Amino acid sequence: MDHMEYVLSILPFIASGLKLTAKIYIATLIFALPVGLLAAIGKVKGPKIITRILYLYTWIWRGTPLLLQLFFMFYGLPIIGIRLSPFAAAAITYTLNSGAYLTEIFRGGIESIDKGQYEAAKALGMTYPQTMRRIIIPQTVRRVLPPTCSEAVNLVKETALLAVIGMPDLLRIATQIFTRDFNITPFIVAFVLYLIISSVLVKLFGTLERKYSIYE
Amino acid sequence: MSMIHMSNIHKYFGKLHVLKGVSLEVNKGEIISIIGPSGSGKSTLLRCMNQLEKIDQGIVEIEGIVVEASGAMEAKIAATPQEVRATYRKMGMVFQSFNLFPHMTALGNVIEAPMLVNKVAKDDAVKNAEKQLAKVGLLEKKDAFPSKLSGGQKQRVAIARALAMNPDIMLFDEPTSALDPELIGEVLSVIKNLAQEHMTMLIVTHEMGFAKEISDRVIFMDDGKILEDSSPMDFFENPRHPRIKTFLEKML
Repeated sequence: MDHMEYVLSILPFIASGLKLTAKIYIATLIFALPVGLLAAIGKVKGPKIITRILYLYTWIWRGTPLLLQLFFMFYGLPIIGIRLSPFAAAAITYTLNSGAYLTEIFRGGIESIDKGQYEAAKALGMTYPQTMRRIIIPQTVRRVLPPTCSEAVNLVKETALLAVIGMPDLLRIATQIFTRDFNITPFIVAFVLYLIISSVLVKLFGTLERKYSIYE
Repeated sequence: MSMIHMSNIHKYFGKLHVLKGVSLEVNKGEIISIIGPSGSGKSTLLRCMNQLEKIDQGIVEIEGIVVEASGAMEAKIAATPQEVRATYRKMGMVFQSFNLFPHMTALGNVIEAPMLVNKVAKDDAVKNAEKQLAKVGLLEKKDAFPSKLSGGQKQRVAIARALAMNPDIMLFDEPTSALDPELIGEVLSVIKNLAQEHMTMLIVTHEMGFAKEISDRVIFMDDGKILEDSSPMDFFENPRHPRIKTFLEKML
């Protein structure tokens, strides 16, 4: 069989894996961004009990391996009677993990804004939520774009851990084809696809960065 | 009419006693310069007027409304939180470091609070903002971001931003201290124009000539207390207190 023909023949399987990877990835971003933002604000301004809980959250989720967190969600939760679909368990794990990193990224961003900005807003009669929404967060966005881009790219690669817990993501499908045909082509295809996704993300964040830099 | 009444204000930063029982009365239309060595509590006093610092003891009244009071006097706060907030809005503030919003143009800076806080319609806010920017001589810079403005221009935009809220009182916290010497004049002349409109103003400043020329009263602070509160004439020509004499000798 001609090489190109072989690639085309495995593409439908690869596409199904890519679809799962993309779904987990998008679900994670959709939930992790607000989790990170709210937790960051909570850490900066929340009452002591909230900051304590959030400290515990980022400490645990950033301080342990993601794979171990996935194991707990997949094999640990059912033991205490919580049964989630594999997709839900994976999406929640990735969201909480990524959310913890984003919390710290956003917190750093918010805290890097000069306190004079809060004072000017307060002297103009703005409330704290108004100040955050109109003055602080828009400035924070610009500053957190580069580290958020890193996190977004990391997350693409971390979705490959889905293969280890038996979910048919891009890497697992590639592995299955490899064991079936004993041909490393599916790995090369997966390699290229991961690289394309990461590159698109970097490009996208680059565009955002430029857009938010106009005032500098 | 009393615009600001402060009585026996005490303020601590940790163990540091920054204001040691300061009392002050400001009448409508008065222009008051607050001078004194650094660390004497000038800026803190100003910041206690509009809640940027919380007082530890004493009472603050703005336009007859008790906005802050401590201890036994707390009962004197009769206004609702909304009224207190509305009262604070009658004070505009200008900072040493400008504190413009860097992600907004000059015009954006000026229309933001009127639209967000006072719910002014955008057309009206823009119209008023252009009037204020023209007043500080920067209408042609309305679409510039702060990063493209000089220090003096930034401070003038900051003044326009405060004026756009239609304040009765303006607080200036060392408005020219962060400026290159050649840019100080343009900011001072904007403040002088305000003086001619009889805006009530408190100005913390190190510009002695300016204070002498513009003020109705000069307040000298040292070590958390008001040492002197007199006319500029008396203050600069015959300072009574030896501390003031040495200070003026150093400054002039």
